[in-house]
Amino acid sequence: MLTLLRRRAVSSVIPLMVVVLGVFFLARLTGDPANLYLPLSATPEMRAEFAARNGLDEPLVTQFGDYLAQVAHLDFGESLRTAQPAGEAVLRAFPATLQLAGWTMLLAIVGAVAIGSLAAYRPNSATDRIASFLSSMAASVPDFWIAIMGVLVFAVTLGWLPTSGTSGAAAWVLPVATLLIRPFGVLVQVVRGAMVSALSAPYVKVARGKGASEPRVVFGHSLRNAAAPALTVAGDLAVGLVNGAVVVETIFGWPGIGKLMIDSVLQRDFAVLQAAVLLTALAIFALNILVDLCHALLDPRVRQRAAA
Amino acid sequence: MPGPGPSRSRPIVTSLVVLLAASGCSVAGADPVGGGPGTLRIVLPEEPPTLEPCDASLTATGRVTRANITEALTEREPSTGGLEPALATKWTRTSATSWTFTLRTGVTFHDGSPFTAAAAAFSIKRATDSGIDCNVDGYIFADTELTATPLDDTALRVTTSKPDPILPLRLSFVEIVPTGTDPDSRVREPVGTGPYRIDEWNQGRYLRLKRFSGYWGKTPDFSAATYVWRAEGSVRAAMVTNDEADVAIGLAPEDGAGDRAVEFATNEVSYLRIDATKPPLDDIRVRRAVNYAIDREGLTTAVFAGRPSGQLVSKGVTGYNPRIDPWPYDPERARRLVAEARADGVRTDTTLTIIGRNGIYPKAAEAMEVVQDGLLKAGLKVRIKMLDVNAWLEYLLRPFPTGDTGPTLLQAQHGNQAGDAAFTMGQIYGSDGAQSSYGTAEFDARIARAQLASGGKRQRAFADAFDYQNDKVVRDAVMANMTGLLALSPKVRYRPDSATNDEMRLADMRRQD
Repeated sequence: MLTLLRRRAVSSVIPLMVVVLGVFFLARLTGDPANLYLPLSATPEMRAEFAARNGLDEPLVTQFGDYLAQVAHLDFGESLRTAQPAGEAVLRAFPATLQLAGWTMLLAIVGAVAIGSLAAYRPNSATDRIASFLSSMAASVPDFWIAIMGVLVFAVTLGWLPTSGTSGAAAWVLPVATLLIRPFGVLVQVVRGAMVSALSAPYVKVARGKGASEPRVVFGHSLRNAAAPALTVAGDLAVGLVNGAVVVETIFGWPGIGKLMIDSVLQRDFAVLQAAVLLTALAIFALNILVDLCHALLDPRVRQRAAA
Repeated sequence: MPGPGPSRSRPIVTSLVVLLAASGCSVAGADPVGGGPGTLRIVLPEEPPTLEPCDASLTATGRVTRANITEALTEREPSTGGLEPALATKWTRTSATSWTFTLRTGVTFHDGSPFTAAAAAFSIKRATDSGIDCNVDGYIFADTELTATPLDDTALRVTTSKPDPILPLRLSFVEIVPTGTDPDSRVREPVGTGPYRIDEWNQGRYLRLKRFSGYWGKTPDFSAATYVWRAEGSVRAAMVTNDEADVAIGLAPEDGAGDRAVEFATNEVSYLRIDATKPPLDDIRVRRAVNYAIDREGLTTAVFAGRPSGQLVSKGVTGYNPRIDPWPYDPERARRLVAEARADGVRTDTTLTIIGRNGIYPKAAEAMEVVQDGLLKAGLKVRIKMLDVNAWLEYLLRPFPTGDTGPTLLQAQHGNQAGDAAFTMGQIYGSDGAQSSYGTAEFDARIARAQLASGGKRQRAFADAFDYQNDKVVRDAVMANMTGLLALSPKVRYRPDSATNDEMRLADMRRQD
C-alpha cells in the first residue's frame, strides 16, 4: 500500500508543476491588472508605480522564480483586490466547497447504490425503466436552471426554504440538491450497468445455490464487484465538485473556492488565482490517491499489482 | 473473486461520514438571515473588496462606506446638484489657488478621538499624496497637487497647484479618517465619523454595521445594518420577496422583483465611442449615420431600462445641456448619409467592429445586436466582439491596441458621480484624455475654458461644449440615461436618487410605520 502511495505521489509532482507553470504564465497573458485596479484616468507614472509595487515590471521568468521562492515558504502573495494574504482567502473558501462536495457525493453515492441496485435486480421491469428514465434526465439537466427553478419554487412560491446563504441546515438543501442531481443521475446508470453484469455472473449463481440470502447476494457479493467502475466515475465527479461548484456557489452565495477562482480570473488577482489553483490541484491529487486506495481495498488484484 | 468478509473500505467510508457529520450543516460564520426588527438587511451584487475610504469612488466600496461609515468635508445633493455642508460647515475661496474651510465642532470618530483640522489635513494628504494608489486620487484629482494645512482645530486651508474653482466639490470625495490610520497601506475596516460603525465583517459572508451612539447628526432609524451579497440578480430580488432582505440593488427588469421593484434615475449614460481616426468613421457623415441608425426608443423599451439621451451627463450635473435632444431614429437618413459618403470615395465597405463588454449593463450583448442590425440596414458592415472587463479596458484606455483592429465602435457607459462635467469632458473628450480616441483643437480649447470657469459661466461653457460635440465633432453615439432598479421591502421607506448606485445612505432609510 505504501508503495502505491509513493508511486502516486511521485507521479503527481510533474502534473502539479505543469499546472503551476501554466496558471502563472497564462494568467499574465490576459492583460495588465493595472487597468482594473487604477482609476480610468491613471497616468503612465501611476501605472509604472503600480507595476513596480506589485513586482509586475520584472521579466516573467524572474517573477516566476520569486513566486516559487515565496511558495516554498508558504507565502502565496497578497491579493490585489483585497490587500490580504492570498493563502488566507483560499483557506477560508476551501472548507465551504469541501463540505458541499462531501455531502453531495455522500448522498449521491448512497442514493445511486440503492436505486441502481434496485433497478438492476429486475432488468427491464417498471422500476428499472423509471429509474433509467429519471437518471438520464437528471444527468442532462443544466444546474443553472435547476438552481433558479429551485429558488423560485421552494423559496419564493412555497416559502419552505431560504433562497440562498449558508445559515442553518435549510440553507444547504437547495445547493446540495442542485449539485446532487447530475452525479446522482450518472452514478445510478453506472451502478445499474455494473450490477446487471455482476448479478448474472457465475459466482452469484453459486452463492444462490449455496443458499445465500438475496440481500447478501446483492450487497455482499454483487455490489462489491460492481463497485470498481462506480468508484472510478464517483472519483471523477468528486473532482469536478472539489474544483469548485461555480454555478451553485454563485447563485446561492456560497463562499467557496469556485466562485473565488472565477472572481480572481475576472479581476486578474494573480496571487489568489495561483493559490487557489495550487490548493485545488493538491486536493484533486489527494482525492485521486484516495480513490486508488479504495480500489486497492476493494480489489486484491490491485494490491498485488502495487506490491509487485 | 473477493469474498464477502468484513469490508476494508468501511473505515474510509466511516471516516468520511464522521468528518461530514462533524462539519455539521453550517459553514463557519454563517450569514445572519434575521437580525431583528431594528436591523436593515441589504443584499448587494458583490462583496466590497475593502472599505478603504480613499477608494470610496469605487462603486463596490463607496456604496457601503460613504456617508455611512465615513464622511467628507462637503457632500453633493444629488437632486439639486448643490453642495451641502458635512464635516465642514462653510468654505471660502481666499485666492485663485486657496480655500479655507471651517470645520464642524463636537464631532468624534468611532474610536472616540476628536475630529480636528489635523485629521482633515491628514486624510487629504493620505488620499492624494501617498503610495496607496487611492482611486479617488486618480479619479477626482488627476494631476492637481493639494496642500492641506490646519490653521487651528476648526480651520483648514487647502491650496492647489493650479486654480480649481470646484475644489469643495472634489473634496466631497475625500473621506475623513483619524490621524492614527495607516498612511502607507489600505485599511479594510476604517474608522470614521459616520452614523454607523463596523461591527463585524465575516469575509465572504456578511458585513454588519451598528449605529454609532456618538454621531453628531440625526440618529438613524435602524440600529444596525447587515450586508450580504449575491451575484445573481433574480436571487437578490427573491430575497426581498421572500423577506430575507429589505433592500436589493442592481436589479434588471427581468429579475422578478414584481411590486417590490422601485425605479430610479441614475447618472449612468450608455454610449458607443466612435473611433473617428479610421475610415470610414473619420467621415462625419458616417458618424452621423451611426447616430441616426440606432433605435434608442426600441432599446430602452425592449432591451434595457433607460431614457434616450443625447449627452454623456445627466440632469443635475453642472454642464448638462437641456437643449440637446437624443438623436432621432431615422434609418432612411442614415442610409442616405452612408450612400453620400460612399459616392465621395469613403470606404464604407470596411468592416466596423463593435467592441462590447459582457455585463456592462443588463442585456449588453442583445443591445449591441440591435445596434448592429441598425448599422447593417444603413449600409455599413459590422461585426461584434464581446469581451470581459479587462480585455475591454485595453480598448477603452490609452494606449489603444496597435494590432489590426480596424475601425471600432466601443460599447461604454459613463457615470458622472461627482456632479460636474469636468469629470467627463477632460478624460473622455479631450484629445489627450485617458479614454479619448479622438479630439479637435477647437473642442480642447472649449473644454479648457469651461474647466477654469465658475458659477453660471461654468454651466454655460460646459453646456456649449456638449452642444459643440454633438453638432461638429460627433465622436459618440450616446444612447440612454440608464434607469436603476432596486427592490424594497414594505417595511422600509426609502427614495433612491441618482447617487444611490454609488452611495447608499442608510440614514435615509426609514422604518415604515
